Amino acid sequence: MNSPLPPPGAPLTHYVSTAPFDPYSVEAMTAGQAKVYQASQLRLMWWKFKKHRVALVSGIFLLALYLMIAVAEFLAPYNLHTRNMDFIHAPPQRVRLFHDGQLVGPFVYGRTMQLDMDTLRRIYTDNTADVQRLRFFCSGDPYKFWGLWEADFHLVCPAEGGQFFALGTDRLGRDVLSRIIYGARISLTIGLIGIAVSFTLGIVIGGLAGYHGGYLDLMVQRVIEVLQSIPSIPLWMALAAIMPVSWSPILVYLGITVILGLLDWTGLARAVRSKLLALREEDYVLAAQLMGAKSSRIIGRHLVPGFMSHLIASATISIPGMILGETALSFLGLGLRPPITSWGILLTEARSVSVIAFYPWLLYPMIPVILVILAFNFLGDGLRDAADPYK
Amino acid sequence: MMAATCLPASLARATLALQEPEFFKEKLADGTLPPMTERLPKVPRVINLAAMDRKPGRYGGTARMVIGSQKDTRLMTINGYARLVGFDEHLVLQPDILERFEQVENRVYTFRLREGHRWSDGHPFTVDDFVYYWEDVLNNKEMRPRGLPLDLLSDGKPPRFEVVDPLTVRYSWDVPNPDFLLRLASPQPLTLALPAHYMKQFHPKYADPEALKKIVEEEGEDDWTGVHINRSRTYRPENPDLPTLDPWRNLIAPPAEQFIFERNAFFHRVDETGQQLPYVDRVVLNVSASGIIPAKAGAGETDLQTSGLDFVDYTFLKDAEKRYKVQVRLWERTQGSRIALLPNLNCGDKVWRDLFRDVRVRRAMSVAIDREEINKASFFGLARESADTILPQSPLFKPEYQHAWAQFDPDLADKLLDEAGLSARDDDGLRLLPDGRTASLIVESAGESTLETDVLELVTDHWRQVGLKLHVRTSQRDVFRSRALGGEIMVSVQQGIDNGIPTADMSPSGLAPTGDEQLQWPVWGLHYLSAEQKGEAPDLPEAKRLVDLMRQWKRSSSTAERETIWTEMLSIYTDQVFSIGIVNGTLQPIVTARNLTNVPEKGLYGFDPTAFLGVYLPDTFWFDGSA
Repeated sequence: MNSPLPPPGAPLTHYVSTAPFDPYSVEAMTAGQAKVYQASQLRLMWWKFKKHRVALVSGIFLLALYLMIAVAEFLAPYNLHTRNMDFIHAPPQRVRLFHDGQLVGPFVYGRTMQLDMDTLRRIYTDNTADVQRLRFFCSGDPYKFWGLWEADFHLVCPAEGGQFFALGTDRLGRDVLSRIIYGARISLTIGLIGIAVSFTLGIVIGGLAGYHGGYLDLMVQRVIEVLQSIPSIPLWMALAAIMPVSWSPILVYLGITVILGLLDWTGLARAVRSKLLALREEDYVLAAQLMGAKSSRIIGRHLVPGFMSHLIASATISIPGMILGETALSFLGLGLRPPITSWGILLTEARSVSVIAFYPWLLYPMIPVILVILAFNFLGDGLRDAADPYK
Repeated sequence: MMAATCLPASLARATLALQEPEFFKEKLADGTLPPMTERLPKVPRVINLAAMDRKPGRYGGTARMVIGSQKDTRLMTINGYARLVGFDEHLVLQPDILERFEQVENRVYTFRLREGHRWSDGHPFTVDDFVYYWEDVLNNKEMRPRGLPLDLLSDGKPPRFEVVDPLTVRYSWDVPNPDFLLRLASPQPLTLALPAHYMKQFHPKYADPEALKKIVEEEGEDDWTGVHINRSRTYRPENPDLPTLDPWRNLIAPPAEQFIFERNAFFHRVDETGQQLPYVDRVVLNVSASGIIPAKAGAGETDLQTSGLDFVDYTFLKDAEKRYKVQVRLWERTQGSRIALLPNLNCGDKVWRDLFRDVRVRRAMSVAIDREEINKASFFGLARESADTILPQSPLFKPEYQHAWAQFDPDLADKLLDEAGLSARDDDGLRLLPDGRTASLIVESAGESTLETDVLELVTDHWRQVGLKLHVRTSQRDVFRSRALGGEIMVSVQQGIDNGIPTADMSPSGLAPTGDEQLQWPVWGLHYLSAEQKGEAPDLPEAKRLVDLMRQWKRSSSTAERETIWTEMLSIYTDQVFSIGIVNGTLQPIVTARNLTNVPEKGLYGFDPTAFLGVYLPDTFWFDGSA
């Protein structure tokens, strides 16, 4: 009998290896791999994001801008409303370092203005004898910091009794650079506040519609379709016309952001809804339901975090839309009004032919608008890639 | 005087063979158009160009113009300035379409037509056209259910209309109607005649009822009056079929992007050599967005442009002279103020209404404005800092009108406002109204020009200094009047009084509440306008006085009497600061093709009384091909 099995009752013939055994030895990980596998979602995103160089640079740029607007008063050489009637439509002044072959540090030449009564132009000529050294960390034009504290401390100021218009002046002799810096405060925050409004609305409405489905979903979908089919500019115009003129500029500003937010939530709501439609069928939702969780808790704690990263990315991408929206509204004279100054307002004032022909520096506010919008787009792009780090 | 001006023309015509415009060559050849001598009235109006320092010209060419909207075809009626009587360059009334006119005590007006004068379709222009308009239009109950237009009433009574002989008509009132001729000479004139031979087909008295019914239905009107009104619009020449007496006639019916005006072969003016005017064959109006008119003018796309241009465009236009064959001239505008702030004395807010009716408040608002700064910033210091009043070019001008409450004196403003009960201030230094609100004024602007925005921005700061806050609201010019009537407007920004260069014989209606378009007192104006049927009577003694003076002027029969009335009205108006003027005598760029000859170097530009280019006779402008 030649059976592999021992006869009944006899002990089995086998041996136990005493060598160390590692069940994962086939797919052993290096220290680096282990780090990846143990990394949190956030850390993974950051790594992925870092690889997107343009997005990283854009992110830093935007961060710097947002830090800047917090101290706009300090950075701007002049107050927002300071008029200089002797320097109307003055072209940008060049900052120089050398005078007569000698290093004197940053300075500008003083200028004299002549009226050409034939063509009615103001002609500015540099007076090379008049060296006006720029002052740094100096006291200059007085302002109210954040509208609260009187101060006059600036990063850079013109020489005593001198002028420094790095980007020229407008038709009332106001410094364009200072106005751009102050304008950034409005233009950049309007995007953030607007997106906060649309974000909240989008998640709440889209979340409810997606999670509950049925009639609620049907209704929300139709409302969204109707809202999206209304041409946006006339709708903005109507809403902007409702705001009373006597409102203080700050209220108008808030009103405009809310309007922009109110009209922008539809896309986000759709995205949230479609995601939720898929996720609500998951087992963990059923489990939560069985444990008696309310829908707000299920949406807020279990569903939304699952695709939050996508939401953040898409929100970032829609901020430029908000900024452009504000610019467009103000350009049409419907949005913000002076004395509030945004980039849109600055551009409105640069609409005429003569500006393009003679005073091109009044179009400079276009540059930050373009840069900020590009930066937001790159940043959004990077965030979207990073949001799904395993791909 | 008539004889003197006629003589050279008849001489010239006898000696010189008249040269026909190339434009009519074909029509003349196939006989559809008679030769010039038969097209002209027996006694044409002779424009002595040499006496005006101009040169007789040559026919031909197309003048291009850009207009901001279709409505602006009216510019052709205004600039063409063919009126029964019209002003000349020196603002003296001259017979134009009429051969002569006589008036007795400003009551009896006798008009003599030119023999052989024809409408642009060749049909004779006769007293029948006056009779038709008087009997079948003005006195037709269906056409005018509320009776005659106000301009034809004197002391509420209509005139007697008589046909004296086949070339003469007479309008006579019992009380003087000194405004009558001026209304005929105004840029938007009072109509007295329509081409009866054409219009009769739309009038049930003459037309075949079936045919007329069909037309009414086709045009979607309720009855024949709508059709008749549409077809007979003369101020806006919308009907290419309507015969006209203007120098050019429209060929295109709106809606259109381009309007072509062609020379009127039967126009009644000639130059001193007997050549029929106008010189320019065609005027083409292109409709475009008003914002880009300066750009188009600067790119040489127009040959004669005044509307849509502003002083701020001058630098750009002047620069364009180097690149394109255009020339820019600067004329002086005639409004009483280029920009004026009009506090609405009929404002709905009771507190503000009472304040605006307090002369101290109006004066304070005026002296708080630093006009010099505005002049320097927006007008290169070339404008005249002035109250909203008449210009030095007017024979009625006195310096005290210009300077009345037009100085910059914030201390005085503070004092006046304190006295007016606005002495309480809040933490920000803003004044408080008697009911505790902060004194913030809403100024309505049509937002048509950056100039307005700039000036308002400066005024905001000036008023802030004396504790008044200013907000600007932009709204459409079209709704201004109804909103002001409803009291919804507090303060509006507009141009000052229309006619800044009046003579005593011109109507002072701009200085008294006489119309609902006067945004400082629209309700009072409506009261006057509607013959006291609507609106409210003024209850401010000074405004009442102005209305009384206006009524006196209407009944006046001598220039000396009118001068006294004007003087009193001007001093009341400026002393009471019913409108807050800022600067006047600002400059208006006039862009023409460089070879357009006979355009005066200097001129006065305004709607009333110069009818924009009207009194400078654009029909005498011509293209010098050799230049």
